[in-house]
Amino acid sequence: MGLLAREIEACGVTTVGLALVQELAVAVKAPRLLFLHWPFGHALGEPGKVNQQRTILRELFSLARVAPYPGLVLELPYRWKRQTYPPVVDWTTESEAFTQALARALATEKAPL
Amino acid sequence: MMQNDTPQITPATPLHELVLRLMNDTAPGQAFFRWFGKTRGSLQLRRWRSSLQTIPWTPLQRPIAEATVALVTTGGVHLHADSPFDVQNDASFRRIPRAATAADLCITHDKYDRRDATEDINLVFPLQRLRELETEGIIGRVAELHYGFGYVRNLDDLLAQAREVGRRLKQARVDLALLVPA
Repeated sequence: MGLLAREIEACGVTTVGLALVQELAVAVKAPRLLFLHWPFGHALGEPGKVNQQRTILRELFSLARVAPYPGLVLELPYRWKRQTYPPVVDWTTESEAFTQALARALATEKAPL
Repeated sequence: MMQNDTPQITPATPLHELVLRLMNDTAPGQAFFRWFGKTRGSLQLRRWRSSLQTIPWTPLQRPIAEATVALVTTGGVHLHADSPFDVQNDASFRRIPRAATAADLCITHDKYDRRDATEDINLVFPLQRLRELETEGIIGRVAELHYGFGYVRNLDDLLAQAREVGRRLKQARVDLALLVPA
C-alpha cells in the first residue's frame, strides 16, 4: 500500500495512508502514513462506530495538511477497543493525540542526523 | 441490517476462514498475524530497498474544505458487478463510483477476517463517511471515482497499475488520495 502511495504522489496527487504494521510503514518510505496498532481489516476502527472512524479521518486530514517533509510515520496512541471517541467538533486544527504523535515522529527522525 | 444492505464476500474455504477468525479474535492471534504480515511484507520489499531512498512529495494544494478527496483501498473491495480479484496475486484495480452503496460492493481478499468489514464496509473503504463529510462541508468534494486493489504478491506488477491510478486521479483533479489497507 505504501508503494501505491509513492506512485500516486509522484503523479502529483497528495497522499496520506493508514498502516497496521509499523515496520513495513517505516520501510516502504511512503510520503505520509499514520500507524495504528489495530488488527488487519480494521484500519478505520470498529463496525458502526462513526465517531471512531471520523476521528481517524480527521487525523488523516491533519497529516495531509501539516506534514513538513516526506517519509513521516506517525504512531497514533489509540488502543484497540479500549478507547472512547467523542464526536469530532473541530476539523481545521490538529488533535492533542496528533500533535504529540507528530512531535514524537519529528524527534526520532532527527535523532540519526 | 438487511441482507441486501451489506457487501458480498467472495468466500474462502471454511478452514481458511476459521484460521482468519482465530487470528482476528485473540491478542496472541493478532500478534502472530502482525508478525506474519511484517515478515511477508519485508521479504516482498527487500529487493526494493535501494529504489525507495527518494520519496515523492506533492504538498496539499488547497484547504481540506475545498479539496477533492478520493479513496484507494487495498482491502479487496470492488463492485460485485465487476470481476473479482485473484486472491493469490492480483495487481489490477477496480473503479468504484462515488454513489456506490454497501450493497453494490464485494470483498475479494483472503488475508484478513472480513466479518467486521462486511458489517461495516467503512472499515476498509470509508466512502459513506466521506459523503457525509462532503454534505457537512468539511471536505470540498468526494471524487467521482475511487479505486480498489486486492492482494498483490508480486510488487513488480503493482507499479504500472499504481501509476495508472495516479494518472487518473490527477486527471480527475483529485487533491488528496486517502489510502486504506486491508
